[in-house]
Amino acid sequence: MQEIIKGHAQIIEALTPLCHDESAIKHTADLYGNGYHWFRLENSRKIKDAALILKRFPARLIMISAYENTDASVETKELCYHFDVEGIIYNLTVTQNNEWPIVPSITPEFANADWHEREIMELYNIKVTDHPNPKRLFLDEKLDSGLLATAVPLSVMMNGASSKDLWERILGDKEQQR
Amino acid sequence: MSISTYTMPLGPVHVALEEPVYFHLTCEGENIKNVELTSGHVHRGMEQLAMQRNLVKNVTLTERVCSLCSNSHSFTYSMVVENALELEIPERAKYLRVMAEEIKRIASHLFNTAIQAHIAGFKSLFMHVMEVREIMQDVKETVYGNRMNLAANCIGGVKCDVTDELLEYILKQMDVIEPQLEEITDIFNTNHIMLTRTKGLGLLPQEDAIALGVAGPVARGSGLVKDVRRDTPYAAYPKLDFDVIVEQGCDVHSRTMVRLRELFESIKLIRQCCNKMPKGEVRYPMGKIPVNEAFAHSEAPRGEVAYYIRTNGTDTPARLKWRVPSYMNWKALSVMMRGCQIAEVALVLNSIDPCVSCTER
Repeated sequence: MQEIIKGHAQIIEALTPLCHDESAIKHTADLYGNGYHWFRLENSRKIKDAALILKRFPARLIMISAYENTDASVETKELCYHFDVEGIIYNLTVTQNNEWPIVPSITPEFANADWHEREIMELYNIKVTDHPNPKRLFLDEKLDSGLLATAVPLSVMMNGASSKDLWERILGDKEQQR
Repeated sequence: MSISTYTMPLGPVHVALEEPVYFHLTCEGENIKNVELTSGHVHRGMEQLAMQRNLVKNVTLTERVCSLCSNSHSFTYSMVVENALELEIPERAKYLRVMAEEIKRIASHLFNTAIQAHIAGFKSLFMHVMEVREIMQDVKETVYGNRMNLAANCIGGVKCDVTDELLEYILKQMDVIEPQLEEITDIFNTNHIMLTRTKGLGLLPQEDAIALGVAGPVARGSGLVKDVRRDTPYAAYPKLDFDVIVEQGCDVHSRTMVRLRELFESIKLIRQCCNKMPKGEVRYPMGKIPVNEAFAHSEAPRGEVAYYIRTNGTDTPARLKWRVPSYMNWKALSVMMRGCQIAEVALVLNSIDPCVSCTER
């Protein structure tokens, strides 16, 4: 029997063209029957179009999650935007890479994106364009963006002799400096 | 900036809370024209820590994100892992989770209202509310062994069952606390000092509440019918009867009344849990960890808590991100404080039930 997942057909139809193909879209439900819809957008600029679509319904931005993909040979960062429309969650993922290095701000559409975008700018060093108030949120203005990512955790230092983590990190940093 | 306008630094140490946050107030005489805030004094790097620990250890870590909402964090974290693992939990565990959550909600709301009386200068009311709150602290200590972090939740259910004797004890304590809460609610709703200090203060109009995406009692105090327990039902909430409390005043008083009226809904939920809870297992074991991503959110005492996880097939999450209710509510202060007097800042600040340490993680 096919499972029916709750969702707004109009929203799903409007967001679908922003993705590469059907494989970039996933619909899931939790154990309580709540619907979660996952869209991987074609490129980071599409988030602006998606925000304008969701604003019409009207959606509420819950959170923006930044993710640093350290396993990939090419460094990529991803942002997952979580929106709520009447209890149904729409998760939109965009990738930031060399081809699409910037992400447009959605703060003009969703005022509460302000803090989320400022946080990802300073903690993940992700470039967000057209943010109306790109001031520092947690870090002091004098510190570089993404500074905390350069810190090596004590646990990694202590396990230097028994794992590859520390040395991979050092070699990676050395490579970047060349 | 005109000649009569000046900026005033406030903080990072405050009268309303013991956590550091720095306000830059632009004032004209005694009136506040603009508010900006600087945060970051207690960043603990908890999301990074979570990505160095396995899924089980993170239950303990996430419970320490916040003190008053501690249970909501381990609860929502467990849910997000269960969503990623497609893991079911036993029926009894759903009720036990709701019971622990509502016990914490009563204690949390009472703490906030007590502090409000304290800031308003009504010391005897502050002491009285804190004394009544001790009933809930005793319940927590007796049932869970702890007064703040209950350590009740685990992935797949709850850590410990609650015996019939303890359920009886909880029901008795609800009978003890209920009339005292009615009395406290009446004082906050009719006392001249409290009404003079809180009515019409710290206005957050409904359209601003929508635009800023505020959560919990702050949203409901501005007339928004928003409650994750009702909008995205989870655990045993869909099977239980409760009302979403909403007030239309958009001021400090309305936010207080939402919290106070919610106490009775929590008592109603606890009683239903004690009476309806089915017998049976309290947790199921974890299965294989797939490569997946999942989202979960819940209604904590301060508002919506949201968690996002990415699993990579190992027992350590590739990413764990969470958003606490205060994160959304801070920005609303700039609307609430505009036009207020400097002496009212502490009351307005307390009305969002702020938590700095969980905002900064």
